[in-house]
Amino acid sequence: MKIPAGFLVVCLMFSCFVATSYGVLFSSLKDTLIVTATHTQDQVLKAGEEQITVTWRFNQTYPAGTDSAYKTVKVKLCYAPISQKDRKWRKTVDLLKKDKTCPHKIVARPYTASNNSFTWTIERDIPSAVYFVRAFALNAQEEQVAYGQTTDAHKSSNLFTVQAITGRHVGLDVASICFSAFSVVSLAGFFYMEKRKGKVAQQK
Amino acid sequence: MGEVASNPEKNDRKFALPVDSEHKATEFRLFSVATPHMRAFHLSWISFFACFVSTFAAPPLIPIIRDNLNLTATDIGNAGIAAVSGAVFARVAMGTACDLFGPRLASSSLILLTAPAVFLSAIANSPAAFLMVRFFTGFSLATFVSTQFWMSSMFSPTVVGTANGLSGGWGNLGGGATQLIMPLVFSLIHSSIGSTKFTAWRIAFFIPALFQTLSAYAIFFLGQDMPDGNYVRLEKSGEKHKDNFSQVFYHAITNYRGWILALTYGYCFGVELTIDNIIAQYFYDRFDVNLHTAGIIAASFGLANLFSRPGGGMLSDFVARRFGMRGRLWTLWVVQMVGGLLCLLLGKIGSLSGSVAVMLVFSVFVQAACGLTFGVVPFVSRRSLGVISGMTGGGGNVGAVLTQVIFFRGSRYSTEEGISLMGVMIMCCTLVIMLIYFPQWGGLFCGPRKGVTEEDYYLSEWSAAEKEQGFHKMSMKFSENSRRERGRKGAAAPVQSDPPTIV
Repeated sequence: MKIPAGFLVVCLMFSCFVATSYGVLFSSLKDTLIVTATHTQDQVLKAGEEQITVTWRFNQTYPAGTDSAYKTVKVKLCYAPISQKDRKWRKTVDLLKKDKTCPHKIVARPYTASNNSFTWTIERDIPSAVYFVRAFALNAQEEQVAYGQTTDAHKSSNLFTVQAITGRHVGLDVASICFSAFSVVSLAGFFYMEKRKGKVAQQK
Repeated sequence: MGEVASNPEKNDRKFALPVDSEHKATEFRLFSVATPHMRAFHLSWISFFACFVSTFAAPPLIPIIRDNLNLTATDIGNAGIAAVSGAVFARVAMGTACDLFGPRLASSSLILLTAPAVFLSAIANSPAAFLMVRFFTGFSLATFVSTQFWMSSMFSPTVVGTANGLSGGWGNLGGGATQLIMPLVFSLIHSSIGSTKFTAWRIAFFIPALFQTLSAYAIFFLGQDMPDGNYVRLEKSGEKHKDNFSQVFYHAITNYRGWILALTYGYCFGVELTIDNIIAQYFYDRFDVNLHTAGIIAASFGLANLFSRPGGGMLSDFVARRFGMRGRLWTLWVVQMVGGLLCLLLGKIGSLSGSVAVMLVFSVFVQAACGLTFGVVPFVSRRSLGVISGMTGGGGNVGAVLTQVIFFRGSRYSTEEGISLMGVMIMCCTLVIMLIYFPQWGGLFCGPRKGVTEEDYYLSEWSAAEKEQGFHKMSMKFSENSRRERGRKGAAAPVQSDPPTIV
C-alpha cells in the first residue's frame, strides 16, 4: 500500500494547482483498531432489507496510551478495488480529504476501547458493489489518527457484495409504456388528419 | 387552426409583418406571435429547446444514475458519444423530409417518435439499456434542421441570419438549462414526494418527455410550413410543386459548399456538444469543485447561447448589408479561428477563475460561429435547402463524435490536453472556409465573376424540362431577393442573364 500511495500523492500534487496539499495521509495512520463484521466471505446482501453487525475494539498489542487521543470513531462502508475499476469517482487517494474510497457512513460513536458494536440495515441508496468495512478513530480536532478494517492491507479478503434496489416500480413501468404508445398513436392520428386535409384541398 | 386563408388574389393577403415577393417576412419582431412568421419562430425554438433538454437530461444526474445502473467510466463515455451520434444521419434525413413534406410534419413526427425513448429512460436497468435510450433520444436533435429550414422559409435574406441564430441559439439553451432543471426536479421529487434517489431520477425524466410531446402537438396544430400555407394544401392546389427526392438529394450532395460547411460546423457546434458532455466533470476533477458548482459552470456554458449564437446570426446579417456574402464568410472565418485559439488556451490555464473566464469568452465565440454558419447556409441552395441544412447539421454531430472519440475517451490524453488539442483542430479545420466561392458574390479572397447573376446560380439546380413546367418559380423569386448579398458595392452589377451555366 505504501509505495503506490506515495506515487498517488506525487501525481495529485502535480495535477492540482490549487494549494491544498496539507491534510492527513492514509499512509500515516496506524492500524490499531480491530474491526469485524457478521457477513461471511463473498456474501450477497440486499440493500434496504438485510443487516450487518459491526464490532470494533482497540488492539491491545499496541502500547497502552496509544489511544489517548482518540475521541470518536466513524465506521464507514468502503469500495473494494474491483468496484473502483474504471470508476474515477471512487478513486483511492492517500490524502484523506480527497479520498473517495469510503463515502457511505454506517455510524459514528464516541470512542471506547472495547465493547463496541452496531447493527446496520443496509440503506436503500447503497449502490450494487463489492465492499468492506473500515473504522476511523478521530481526535478532538476531527482528524483521522488511526483506523481498522475488516479486510487485509490489499483489500482482497473477506469482502461482501451489496445488491441494490432497482428503483423501478410497476406504476412507473406502466406509465412509461403507456405514454410512449400514446405518442406513437397520436402521430398516426396526425398523419390521418393531414391526409384528410389534403383531400379537402384537392376537392376545392 | 393556424393557416392563413388563401384568397384568389394572393397579393391581397395581409400579413402582420412586412413581406417580400415570396411572402417571407423582412422584419423580425421578437415579442410578436403573429401568424405565420413569428408563431413559427416561437414554435420552432421552444420545441428544439425541449429536445435539447431531453438529450442532455442524463449528464447532470449521472452521479445517481451511475450508481443505480452500475456504470463504469467507459459506459458513461460511450453513452455520451451515442447521444450525439444518432443525430448525424437523422439530421440529413430530416433535411430531406423538410424538402419533401415540410418542416411542420417533419419535426412533429420526429419529436413524437423520439419521445418514447425519453419515457423509457425511466425504466432503463443496465448499461446497455442506458446507451440505447441516450442514442435514440439523441435523434431528436435533428429538429435543429427543421428549425433552420422553417426560419429560412419564413424569413427573408435580410433577416434570415437573425432568425436562424435566435431559433438555433435559444434551442441550444436547452443543453444548459437542463443542467439546472434536472437536478432541481430530482431534488423536488426526492424531498417532497420522498422517493429514494434511485426512483426519483426515473420520475424526473417524465418532465422533459412530457414537455417534448406537448411541443410536438403545438407544432402540428398551430404551425404552418410556409407563409402561404402548408405543403399538403399548396401541393394539392397546384401552388407548390411536389419535388423529386433523388433530384433534391443529388443537387445537395454535389454542391461542395455543403460539405465544407458540414466540416466547419463540426468544429463549432460539434465542439459545443463535446463541451456540454465533458465540462462539468473537467471542473469537478481538475479544480475539485463540488458537483453542484460543476453543474452551474457547465450550465453557464450552454446558457451563453441566449445571446451568443443569435449574436452571430445578427452579426452575419449586419456585415452582409455592407459587404454581402463575402462579409459573412470573413466574419465566420475570423470568429471561429478566435474560438479555436481560446479553446487551446482553456486547456492551458491552471486556475479556477481563469478557466471559468476563458470558458465563458470561448463559449461566446464558438456559439457565435454556429450562428454565423447558418447565416451562409440558406444561400448555398434553394432547391435543396433542407438537405444542405441537414448535411451541415449532421456534420456538427460528426464533429462531436470525432472529438470525443479522439480526445476524450480512455486515458491517452488528460482532459486538459484534450481541450487544447481540440482547439488546434478547430483552427486547422476552419481554414477550409477559404475554399468557398459563390460565382455571383465571390469568396474570401476572390471577387465575383463578371456577368454571373443569382439566377444563374439558383436556376442551375433545375433542368430545362423542369423549367418548362414552371417548377423553378420559387428559385426565381429567391434569386431576386438574395441580390442584397452582393453588398453595397455590387448593387450596380448586371441583373438578368442568358442560359445558366454553373454551380
